[in-house]
Amino acid sequence: MGKVMIIDLAICNGCHNCQVACKDEHVANDWSPVAKPQPDTGQFWNKVVNMERGSFPKVQVTYHHSICQHCEDAPCLEACTAHAIYRRADGIVIIDPEKCRGNQLCLEACPYENVIYFNHDLNIAQKCTFCAHLIDRGWTETRCSDACPTGAFTFGDEQDLKEKIAQAELLKPELPTGPRVYYFNLPKKWIAGAVLDSEADECLEGAAVTATDTRTGGAVTTTTDNYGDFWLRDLKDGQYTVAVEKEGYLTRKLGPVDATQKDQNLGDIVLWRA
Amino acid sequence: MEEYVTRPPNSAGEKTLVRDISWCGVFNGANASMVDVKDGKIIRIRPARYYDQYTKEEVKPWVMHARGKTFEPSDKSLIPPLSLAYKKRVFSPGRIRYPMKRVDWDPKGERNPQNRGVSKYERISWDEALDLITSEILRIKETYGPTAILNQSDQHGENKVVHGPHGCMRKLLTMLGGYTLQVRDADSWEGWWWGAKHAWGCEPVGQQMPQKNLLWDISKNAELLLFWGCDQETTVWGWQGQLTSRLSYWWTELGIKQIYIAPDVNYANAVHADKWIPVLPNTDAALYLAIAHQWFKEGTYDKDYLETHAYGVDKFEDYVMGKDDGVPKSAEWAAPITGVSSRVIKALAREWASKRTTVVIGNGGPGIRGPYATEPARLQVLCLAMQGLGRPGCNQAKMIEWGLLDNFEQMSPPAPSVLTNLGAAYTGSTPAVTNHPSFIPKSLVPKAILEGEIDWWGNESEFTVREDQFVHYKYPADGCSKIHMVWTDSPSWITCWNSGNDYVRAIRKPDIEFMLAQHPWLENDCLFADVILPVNTTLEEDDIGSDIFSGQMNLLFPEERCIEPLGESCSDYEVVCRIAERLGLLEEYTGGRTIPELIKLGYETSRVAHLISWEDLQKKGYYVVSPDADWEKIPAGLIEFYDDPEGHPLSTPTGKVEFYATGLAEHFPDDLERPPVPKWIPQGLYHEETIGTERSKKYPLLVMSNHPRWGVHSEHDDITWLREIETCKVRGIDGYQYQPLWINPVDAAARGIKGGDVVSIVNERGVVLAGAYITERIRPGAVGIDHGAKYDPVVPGEIDRGGAINTIVPRNTTSKNACGHAVSGFLVEVEKTDLEALRAKYPEAFARECHITAGPCLAGFTEGGA
Repeated sequence: MGKVMIIDLAICNGCHNCQVACKDEHVANDWSPVAKPQPDTGQFWNKVVNMERGSFPKVQVTYHHSICQHCEDAPCLEACTAHAIYRRADGIVIIDPEKCRGNQLCLEACPYENVIYFNHDLNIAQKCTFCAHLIDRGWTETRCSDACPTGAFTFGDEQDLKEKIAQAELLKPELPTGPRVYYFNLPKKWIAGAVLDSEADECLEGAAVTATDTRTGGAVTTTTDNYGDFWLRDLKDGQYTVAVEKEGYLTRKLGPVDATQKDQNLGDIVLWRA
Repeated sequence: MEEYVTRPPNSAGEKTLVRDISWCGVFNGANASMVDVKDGKIIRIRPARYYDQYTKEEVKPWVMHARGKTFEPSDKSLIPPLSLAYKKRVFSPGRIRYPMKRVDWDPKGERNPQNRGVSKYERISWDEALDLITSEILRIKETYGPTAILNQSDQHGENKVVHGPHGCMRKLLTMLGGYTLQVRDADSWEGWWWGAKHAWGCEPVGQQMPQKNLLWDISKNAELLLFWGCDQETTVWGWQGQLTSRLSYWWTELGIKQIYIAPDVNYANAVHADKWIPVLPNTDAALYLAIAHQWFKEGTYDKDYLETHAYGVDKFEDYVMGKDDGVPKSAEWAAPITGVSSRVIKALAREWASKRTTVVIGNGGPGIRGPYATEPARLQVLCLAMQGLGRPGCNQAKMIEWGLLDNFEQMSPPAPSVLTNLGAAYTGSTPAVTNHPSFIPKSLVPKAILEGEIDWWGNESEFTVREDQFVHYKYPADGCSKIHMVWTDSPSWITCWNSGNDYVRAIRKPDIEFMLAQHPWLENDCLFADVILPVNTTLEEDDIGSDIFSGQMNLLFPEERCIEPLGESCSDYEVVCRIAERLGLLEEYTGGRTIPELIKLGYETSRVAHLISWEDLQKKGYYVVSPDADWEKIPAGLIEFYDDPEGHPLSTPTGKVEFYATGLAEHFPDDLERPPVPKWIPQGLYHEETIGTERSKKYPLLVMSNHPRWGVHSEHDDITWLREIETCKVRGIDGYQYQPLWINPVDAAARGIKGGDVVSIVNERGVVLAGAYITERIRPGAVGIDHGAKYDPVVPGEIDRGGAINTIVPRNTTSKNACGHAVSGFLVEVEKTDLEALRAKYPEAFARECHITAGPCLAGFTEGGA
C-alpha cells in the first residue's frame, strides 16, 4: 500500500517540531541502507518556511513546508545516471546512499524547492525518506508527524486516507509528477484594510468592501467588522479594484491593487459623509 | 547503583526510557518524553505515548463538551522543540566536563577580581577544587561569619528531583552556621505580585485565583478572548508543552474571537489572532484607563456588581474622569500614549462591554514586566471587575502553570484525580521558605554589593502574602555580614535579571573574594566565577520524574539514566555531597540515604503508590493518572465570589475588589509610584522610560523584551538546530550568529539599517549588539528582543556581543517600594554597528574562539584544553 503525507497549513503553529525531529532522527544516526546521516545544520529534509504576510497592523504568519513529494513519476529518479534512486513498493522514493555518485543531477531535476540537498562531506544527495527505516520496523508515523502537536501532519496509507486526499490540494498541480504529499489550506492572497469615519473618529462597521479582478471581472465581497476591519480572503493572484460602500457615505474606489505576488494591506480608508 | 528493571529493548536493540525534559527547575515535572537509547547513545527523543502500556478504558481521559463540539487530550505528550532537540544541549560545545579554576585567581596571592569575565580557565582535579572550595568556605566563615556567603539558587533550569538541582547547598550551609539567601523576586509576574494583590488578593501569586476549570468555562461561555501580552505558543513551552496551541485552534473553531494586545505579532498572534491591537510597550495602563473612561462615560459597566463586589470605585472614577487632575483619561488622551487610535480604543471598550470576555495571560507578557508594572496589573483587574468578574466567561485565565504550588485551585484544565508530588525526594530547596536571618531580594543584589548597605520593603519569599510587602528589611541584617563569597548553581543572573551590567560591576569588586559556580555549561555568570564545578544534565542521572503541568494527563515515571555522565561531571546534589564529604559532614548531609532510596521515597510519597506497585511502575516505565471523574462539577474560576461575595470574599482587607487599595493607603499613603488608586505613571522617582520624557529625545525607541521563543530564559541558546531557525539567530557579516532585534521597516529605514545588519542597542547603561530582523511583526516605535541570549562580553559590564538585553534594562526595581525587576518597556536607541572599528578596539574579545553554529563555547574561555 502506498504511503502518503497530508499537511494542513491552517493548523501549523510554526513550532518547527517537524524540522527538529527530523534532525533528531537523521543527524548523527546512520540508517543505511535507507539514509546516511544528515549534516548537523543547513539542510532540512522537512523544512519549515516562515511566510510573513501583510504589513502593519494587518500581519499574519503562514508556515509552509518543503518536503520530498515522493512522486509517482519522479524527475529525480529519471535524471539519475547512477541509478541510485528507486521507488519502494510503498511508493517511498529513496536515494541509495551507497549507489549515489554525487553527480547532483537529481538536485537539478527536482521541480520542488528545498527538497534535495547535497551532502558535501559524504558526496551524496540526500532527502526525506518518510522515515522508511522506522516504517519497516512497524512505525505508523514518521518522526515529523509523530512530533507534530496539532495534527497538521497526517501520515498513512493511501487507501485509508482516500476521502481526505480527494479534498486536498497539490503543491504544484500543474506538474505531472504524481506527488504523494498533499496539502490543505495552501496560502491564498488576501486584501485587508480598516474603514473609518475620521470626522466622527469612529471605526465604520458594516461597510461593504468589494474586490473586482481587473482581468476576469470576478468579484468578492465582505463587510467590515466593529473595528472597520475587512479581510478579503482566498483571492486568486491578480490585480483588483476595491470599492468601499456604506449607506450615508460617499463610495470610495481604490486600485489597482496588486495581489499577484503578495497579500495587500490597504491601511486606513477614510469614508466621507454623503 | 541499583539497576532498574526496565522493559526489554525493541527489535532494533533500542531501550525506551521515559524522562521529564522541562525547565521549571524544581520537582514539578512536565514534557514527558520517550528517549530511545542504544549502546550508551541517545538515538532519539520523542513525545511520550500514553497508551503504549495502558488502554484508554483504563485511563478514561477527560472530554470537554462545548457548543456541540468535543475536545480531548492527545494520545501523546505535546513536547516542544526544546525537548526534542535536547541531546544537542547535552553534548553542547559549552559543556563543562572537568573542575576548572580561573587562571589568575590565587587565594594565597592575587585574586584579580577585576579580571573576572576576562581571564580564562584551566582544568584542575576534583581534589584540588574541593581543597580550594572547602578552605575558602571555612576561611570566609571564620573571618566574616557565615552570612558572608551569598547563596544563589533559583529555579528554571533543568527539572530534577533527587539530584536537586537548585539549592542543594543550603542544607550544607545551614549545617555550617548559615548563609545569606538571594530570594527570587516575583519575576515574570511582578505586576501581579506587587500590584494586583492590592486589588484582589489572589494569593500568593496575584494572578486570578482560583483558576480551576477556566478552560472549559471559556469553551462554553466566553465570546471574546483578550490575549493581553500573552504568547501561549512560546512562554508555555518549557513548562508544559503545547496543549495551549491545540486549545487556541479549538476556540477559533468554536467561534470565540481572539484579540491580541501587544507591541508585536507574537507567535500565538501570528497563527490565532482575529485582531491585533499594537500597543506601545508598557503603556497598557493608559489603555485600561481609556477603556474604563469609555465605560463610565457610556454607562456600559456592571454598576450593581460593583455595589456588592467592589470598594472605592468613586475614587477611581474621579481619577478616570479627570475630577482629580482635570485630565479625563479618554480614548483621545490615551491614543498618543499607547499608539492605538482613539477609535480603536473606543471600539475595543464597546466590544468588551458587550461580550462575555475573558482576559488571557501567560505570566509575564511585555505589559507586566516593566517599570511601574503594578499599575497595568491592577487596572486589568479593575476593568475585569467593571464587567462582572467571575461571571461565566468573564475571568482572568492563565495559559501556564496549571496546577502550580501543588494546588487544585490553580488547575485551569480538567483536574486530575491526584496531583502527583515528588517534593519529599527533592534534594534542592523550595523557594517558599521564610524567616531567613539574612536575605537579599534577587533584584537588589548588585545594589547591595555596590552600595554596601540597602533597605527595602517585602519580598522575603516569592510566595509570601500581601502583608509581607509592608515589612521593612535591610542588608546587612542585624548581626550579619556583608557578602564576601558567592556560591551559585543558577548562573544566569546577567542575562535574566535587571541591569546585568550592574551585576557584572558588583561581582568584579574586590569585596567578593571568592565566587563558586556549579553548572553543566560555561555560560553567563560562570564566566565570572573563580572555581567552576562540572554538573551533568538530567539525561545522565537516575531519578524519578513526573509530568504535572501538561493539562492532559498527569504522569509518574522512574527515570533511568540515558547515558553516563560526561567527563568528570556529577549532579548538583552530588557536588554538594562531595564538598560535605570533604568537610566530614556527608552522613549528616545525606541523612544516610542513597540515591536509589531517595528515588524509592519519591515513588512512595508520590500519592499514586496505592495505584501501582513499584515493580509494575518500573516494568511499564510510567503511570498515567486518570482525571477526576467529577471534574465537570468543579466551580469555574471566581464564580463563587460572583454569586456570593460575602460568603466567598477575596483576600483583600475589604474582601472586595479594591479600586482604592486600603493596604497601600495605610502603609504608603504618599507613594506616587504605587498610589492607592492605580494610575498611568509616565515617569517618577525610579524611572524615566516612556516616550515624551527628556530621555526619550536621546533614546527614542521602546524595547519590548519577551521570554524567548527558542529557549527557556538562558537555556537552549547553544542548540544548533534551533539557532539555524530564521527567528532564532541572525548571522552577521562577520559570521557570528547575533540575537535578532525585531525592528519595523519604518524605524529601520530611518536609521539606514538593512536586514541582517549588526546593530548596537544603546542607552546610558551599556551597549548590546544584535542582528537586525526587519519585520512588520513589530509596531513602529518599538523594537523587540527576547531575553536570555548567552552573554558574550566585549567589555564586561559595558558592551555585550551575545545579545543579553538584560544587561541594559533599568537598574531600578518596579518602583521605590516594590522590588520586582523591570525588564521590558524601556528606552534605547538603535544604530548600525561599525564592526571593524569595534573589532580594532577590542581585538581579544572578537578573536575569542566561537563555535560557528553553536555560538560562544568552552574553548573560547579555557586554556590548555580544559
